[in-house]
Amino acid sequence: MSSPPQPPQPKRTTSSPGLTRTKILLLGQRRSGKTSINQVLFNALPPKQTFYLEATMRISKHPYDTVIPLEIWDCPGNITVDTLGAPLSDFSALIFVIDIRDLYKQPISKLVEFIIAAYRDNPQLHVEVFVHKAEKLQEDDKIENFRQIQERVQDHLLERECEQMPYNFHLTSVYDHTLNEAFSKVLQKLIHSLPFLEDLLNIFCANSSSPKAFLFDAASRLYVATDESPVDAATHNLCCDYLSMLNAFGTLYQLPAATASRSRIPASEPTPDEPNLSATKDRFCPSAAASLHPSMPGTTLTYHLVTPQLALLALVPTSVYEGRRGLLEYNVVFFREGVQEIWEVENQARGGEDNSYKY
Amino acid sequence: MKKKVLLMGASGSGKTSMRSLIFSNNPASLTTRLGATIDVEQNHVRFLGDLILNLWDCGGQDAFMDSYLTTQRSTIFQHVGVLIYVFDVETNEMHKDLEYYRDCLEGLRQYSPDAAVFLLVHKMDLARDRDATFEKKKKDLQEQSDKVQGPAAIPVTVFGTSIYDESLYRAWSSIVHTLIPNAAVLSKHLTIFAEACSATEVILFERTTFLVIATSSPPSANLEPTRYERTSELIKAFKRSCSRVREEFHALEMELPQFSAVLDELTKNTYILIIVHDPAVETAALRLNVRMARRKFEQLQGLT
Repeated sequence: MSSPPQPPQPKRTTSSPGLTRTKILLLGQRRSGKTSINQVLFNALPPKQTFYLEATMRISKHPYDTVIPLEIWDCPGNITVDTLGAPLSDFSALIFVIDIRDLYKQPISKLVEFIIAAYRDNPQLHVEVFVHKAEKLQEDDKIENFRQIQERVQDHLLERECEQMPYNFHLTSVYDHTLNEAFSKVLQKLIHSLPFLEDLLNIFCANSSSPKAFLFDAASRLYVATDESPVDAATHNLCCDYLSMLNAFGTLYQLPAATASRSRIPASEPTPDEPNLSATKDRFCPSAAASLHPSMPGTTLTYHLVTPQLALLALVPTSVYEGRRGLLEYNVVFFREGVQEIWEVENQARGGEDNSYKY
Repeated sequence: MKKKVLLMGASGSGKTSMRSLIFSNNPASLTTRLGATIDVEQNHVRFLGDLILNLWDCGGQDAFMDSYLTTQRSTIFQHVGVLIYVFDVETNEMHKDLEYYRDCLEGLRQYSPDAAVFLLVHKMDLARDRDATFEKKKKDLQEQSDKVQGPAAIPVTVFGTSIYDESLYRAWSSIVHTLIPNAAVLSKHLTIFAEACSATEVILFERTTFLVIATSSPPSANLEPTRYERTSELIKAFKRSCSRVREEFHALEMELPQFSAVLDELTKNTYILIIVHDPAVETAALRLNVRMARRKFEQLQGLT
């Protein structure tokens, strides 16, 4: 009954001030769910606790490092284009959150104002609408409200002659995986190196007999890339659940800090005269495997942490996992190096400190 | 195993929900669909293969309770191994609940004086200040039990539980622990196994319910005290996720920065979890040890 132990939070943000972060705007009416989305995804808040969140009084800028450095702007409900404090051209994505039960005019006219401003100032802005709190309605009402909201937005934009601005709708809830799926898709649009990451995954899957693999951001459980085979919601949900289980397990049996000498991460930093050596040989990379047994030949769900933030989750036939484990691990090494190189280039391009890859 | 496990308590206190969660592997969200239990629902639950829990889920409505305490008294209270009495933490009728409880305890003393008694203060997720509320309820219940029992008092254990977290697993693991005939022997062998694996801890779970059956002797290091029930909850939740994709969870191994672990089938109705903090030990070696220890544990459980 005691509250769970807080895991030692890994350093989620680099401190370099010159780093250019990709900025995401979270907008919507009061109590639509913006802070809830931000906290559940990026601050590990359990969904049930969102009930106790207080109203956001001023814009809060939340930095978060994944394959690219992000900055999420969680805004109070009454914000307008003028009171933002930054031009719309600074942002890469705008997520407008609407409570699915709210069919009245207000959120829709707000959304339309923002879309028009975006069309004027930053036509490249990705506009995404999250029709949120979907768990509050039954299936039929859910679909009906979702459709109605979409229709109204369309009608309003038509009236204002702004129908060319592209925007996307997503049905979401913090209580299931729909929020993760929706935000993952938004995140992928912001990653310029996505084609390279996807390529790496395709090559990995082809060479490891893997029907599906994801590159997940381990803490938020958003996937930043996947291979070219179609994404099946059930498999995605299973991988999300697997990741939450592993994250939770990690804190259960850890020894208290005093005896942490048994930890596997090498404590020594690379010395100044050999910065490139970076202890490649001694580096420990967490991994896990869960074997599943359906009626067909079994599948194993593998997990490899490739950077401190990113994890490779792949479905592999159990026969391959047991019989060719060495080759699989060999492939993972190359995959890992590829992802790290991409991360380093991205970091340099954004003006981050030149820290050649270290744990 | 002829002894009964009596599950009693006021109507709507959560008895059938608990059963649904622990023994039927349903998620907590499905319990909202359960209706009132009519009279007694008898279930023979297979536990650990040959152990059969004769679970009597007794409907809590007044008419049924009155009948149990009068006309059905001997039928209900004879041959009882464990009485589990469930109290809803938010009830408005505490007075009536306590009266029925005292009567049941009387009936138990009369017909099954050796039975163990567990009191579950349920729906703790609704209580505002959990720890304070629980302490108070525990004291009250202890007082009430002492009123009924004289010098030959049946020891009463009180737990605070909720279907929405791991507390329910902790209570039920303790309850079934009293029903397992050779828990101490299992513990001893698990300790020997732990030494052979250079493991910090080895835990034995029942396959379907994932309740903790036995553990190796507690490690000297200060580990998280709620880890057993939280492990039960985590694995159960993951098993459910797997079944949604029509897959069946089989085994798990992990090499994390903090420790290595292997969760594998030991016998046909138990699972074993080995936790190792020594970075030199490979998970493959642990799995090999599990394979080699299998026969011995099957023998201990009377399966060979």
